[in-house]
Amino acid sequence: MVVTVALACFAAAAACALVRLVIGPTLADRVAALDVALISLMCAIATGAAARRSVVELDLLVVIAAVAFTATIAASRFIEHERGDRSDREATR
Amino acid sequence: MSAPASVAILAGAVLSALAGVGLLRLRTPFGRLHAAGKASPAAFLLVASGAAIETGWAGAARLLAAAGGLLLTVPVGVHLLFRAVHRVGATEQLSRDDLSRKDHNQ
Repeated sequence: MVVTVALACFAAAAACALVRLVIGPTLADRVAALDVALISLMCAIATGAAARRSVVELDLLVVIAAVAFTATIAASRFIEHERGDRSDREATR
Repeated sequence: MSAPASVAILAGAVLSALAGVGLLRLRTPFGRLHAAGKASPAAFLLVASGAAIETGWAGAARLLAAAGGLLLTVPVGVHLLFRAVHRVGATEQLSRDDLSRKDHNQ
């Protein structure tokens, strides 16, 4: 029961993030939406591990936490780099 | 599942759902990044503490590594996004902009 409610909340958060990923309007919004969706997935994996008292899938969480931020940093560098050229700036909004 | 673990996981689930709602409903890019960058690592911290109660020491070590990494990296990444959005010039919706006024954005 607890697991079902928690997984429904994580799914709702990921659905909100995916809607924000589609509607934008800026590139930073889409990157943040991907972050929230990924963290919701991490929460769901942790909840599943707690429900089954299993340790196997927790290694996955360590790897995701170690790697996930590189995409955010790369995207923020990209947004800053493109600010000089107006046509490219419109493309990144 | 034990009662403290259930409470922690449910609290994390509610906070995660609130992060999603904030990301969807807030009007400015700064507000949306605020909702995404602070609520979701806190939600994972709550869920990880609940799961650590259930999975014992071996699981707690892995969850501590994941939660520590997330708490270190997500605020930094979102801060860089904040700065990029500010530099690109999405400041017209702000009622007050101290970062531009003090000229710290060079």
